[in-house]
Amino acid sequence: MRILDGQPVMHWALAGVLLGIITIVLLWTTGSRLGLSTTYECVCRLFSGVPYFQRTELAGKGAWRLWFALGLIASGVLSAMVSGGWHPTWALGPFDDAIRLGPPGKAVWMFSGGVLIGLGTRIADGCTSGHGLFGLANFEWASLRSVLAFMATGIATTWLVYGVLFR
Amino acid sequence: MSARLALSYVVIGTAFGWVLSRSGAGDYGVVQRMFLFKDFQMYGLLGVGVLTIMIGLWILKRVGRSAAGEPIEIRPKAVNAGNWVGGGLFGIGWSMTGMCPGPVFVNIGEGKVYALFAFAGVVAGTWLVGQFRPWLANRLGLPR
Repeated sequence: MRILDGQPVMHWALAGVLLGIITIVLLWTTGSRLGLSTTYECVCRLFSGVPYFQRTELAGKGAWRLWFALGLIASGVLSAMVSGGWHPTWALGPFDDAIRLGPPGKAVWMFSGGVLIGLGTRIADGCTSGHGLFGLANFEWASLRSVLAFMATGIATTWLVYGVLFR
Repeated sequence: MSARLALSYVVIGTAFGWVLSRSGAGDYGVVQRMFLFKDFQMYGLLGVGVLTIMIGLWILKRVGRSAAGEPIEIRPKAVNAGNWVGGGLFGIGWSMTGMCPGPVFVNIGEGKVYALFAFAGVVAGTWLVGQFRPWLANRLGLPR
């Protein structure tokens, strides 16, 4: 299996241990609970005045998520630079082989999927990091329910797209 | 926020994103192979990640204090119908884009142009929930 212009992937056990340690370091050094979907509330807070985005937990130290996201973007740039050089790309692996939409189609597809991510993570109050990693490790019922729900619909959607519609 | 604290968040975010990028967690194909049960990568990663955090939390809760000496408080997330409904919607989006919220940022950094449209979508979806929060909270029993 290859990523990013043919790079081998990091072993899952090493990746899991590292993500776990970084999550604990984040909590221990800053007191912040890992959760990346709330970052998009911080983004909305920059331009929207509705009460939901003016909650105190997004103010002051709550803006940490924007700094963290800056790091995420930087890591992507670094990762691409050391594996064949950074360059803009529309390549999308199996999507290109099976669905064969050009850039405009991909843009619409990605935007639509993104809207569902935004709606879903706000309604469920978490995503793969806050529920899937942290919440499960903290034995939270809300997280178990959310993880079961998003794994089920994720499996169903990929099966529908690659097993039925574009096989 | 102090510049030093902001910088620590950037550094920790960079480390976290690096692992997401190199492990395939931000790769459309790897995510599809997970959902098709053709590849153990993501299941192994998430499973080991959860176990590691479990052990780390067990230790941290015994220590009880952060590095700065402040009490560590972890507020569990609310249990309500939104877990099922929201989780379900998110799963469809995760499958469609091959990205969860963190990898959207990583993919933007990697130069994947379509990730910008996914980002715009997530912001739009988040904004919509903000607009209709009181109605949704009534319907699904979400905290206000």
